[in-house]
Amino acid sequence: MKRLLALSLWLWMAVVIWAAFHWAPLAAGFKGESSRILFFHVPVAWVSFVAFMTAGVESVLYLAGRRDPRHDRSAAAAVELGQVFAVLATVTGAIWARIMWGSYWNWDPRQSAIVVTMLYYAAYLALRQAIADGPSRARLSAAYAVLGLVVSPFLYFVLPRLGFSLHPEPVINAAGKLEVESRMLAVLTASSLGFTVLFYWLHALRRRLGAVAARRDEGVE
Amino acid sequence: MSSSWAAEAAAVFVKDWRCELRTRHAVATLALFALTTLLVASLVLGPIGNDAEMSRRVVPVLVWLIVLFAAAAGLPRAFVHEEESRTAIALRLAARPSAVFAGKLVHIATLVAAIEAIVAPLAVALFDLRVAAAAELVAALAAGGLAIAAATTLLAAIVAQGRGASTLFAVLALPVLLPALALAVAATRVALTGVAEGNLLTLLLLYDGSVVVAGFLLFPAIWNP
Repeated sequence: MKRLLALSLWLWMAVVIWAAFHWAPLAAGFKGESSRILFFHVPVAWVSFVAFMTAGVESVLYLAGRRDPRHDRSAAAAVELGQVFAVLATVTGAIWARIMWGSYWNWDPRQSAIVVTMLYYAAYLALRQAIADGPSRARLSAAYAVLGLVVSPFLYFVLPRLGFSLHPEPVINAAGKLEVESRMLAVLTASSLGFTVLFYWLHALRRRLGAVAARRDEGVE
Repeated sequence: MSSSWAAEAAAVFVKDWRCELRTRHAVATLALFALTTLLVASLVLGPIGNDAEMSRRVVPVLVWLIVLFAAAAGLPRAFVHEEESRTAIALRLAARPSAVFAGKLVHIATLVAAIEAIVAPLAVALFDLRVAAAAELVAALAAGGLAIAAATTLLAAIVAQGRGASTLFAVLALPVLLPALALAVAATRVALTGVAEGNLLTLLLLYDGSVVVAGFLLFPAIWNP
């Protein structure tokens, strides 16, 4: 069963990659073939958002619930994976920015926001490094992650207003309108779905690994 | 518990200021750090207030960086000292967590206000600034200072329980405070030039409110092992 799921995800992503390069049309107003990076840039950015939200929700569950260490391990695993996807989103974005805006880095409000987000979760991981394993670490890092949830709206909605942005309107924009050609939208949705499933798969693997490590440490004591 | 919540919070606040006045640790390090950096900046930049465009761009950032790093240098001590001198346990027994948070928050907020009261007039004098809206400058300093105080109180309580508290504090505080600092810098620029840039102060107060509320909700989990 698990093997079948893995195989179908592999097949799904293979079709998405093929469709992104051969089936979807080019977007108007983009230089050359540069719009095709959108089919990877948007989904990985979305997944990093999903990952950090998962970490926030797991941290709230940890603090509000019975302090189950599983929630703590899940939050930490989500942050680690979220960082990987955030780096991918930044790199794909920078490549595209080089083609469209002429330089890899412009301190566009969206670039600033993702850099600060990555700094935030790097700080989260640094905090975990600084405290010995156990309920204390779980409690303090969960509190820091929840503080991140509180501050993040200012990062995403307020900071961009302080500067002029060249970033194209997000797919889900303020007006609630979809201004994407239907085949492009199909590929984008399929790719986002594929990456999201990939994230939850990796996340489940990390969680299981964490549970095994925890049980081993219990056995040692 | 016989004592009221307000009495406990006030007692924590008074105790912290009494300790502070005995050792003068925070006042000395914070004020001296702020003074030194400001003098170095003034020495290098000169009276840039005469150049409106230059001072508009440079001064707000400079002032807030000085306040932030002065805070990072001295404020984590509020909790680190309690853990090191083992008085944290007594404090846990003596007062409710939310009262401890409130007392520490007001203590740190007054310290930040004291730094600002030194830095802001000196910056105006040394850089030869012309302030277009003095009331808005005070409001920006107060709202930005409260943001720094609220985030600091919460984060200091976190890092006090880990290793390498002071370096860790800077790492944790910068991403949390960045939106508030960006808003405070913009609000200070508005106060200097008098050219409105939207409802910056409202947003800054919204940030203050969110972090203070989050602080009251999260602090019991941080404080009680």
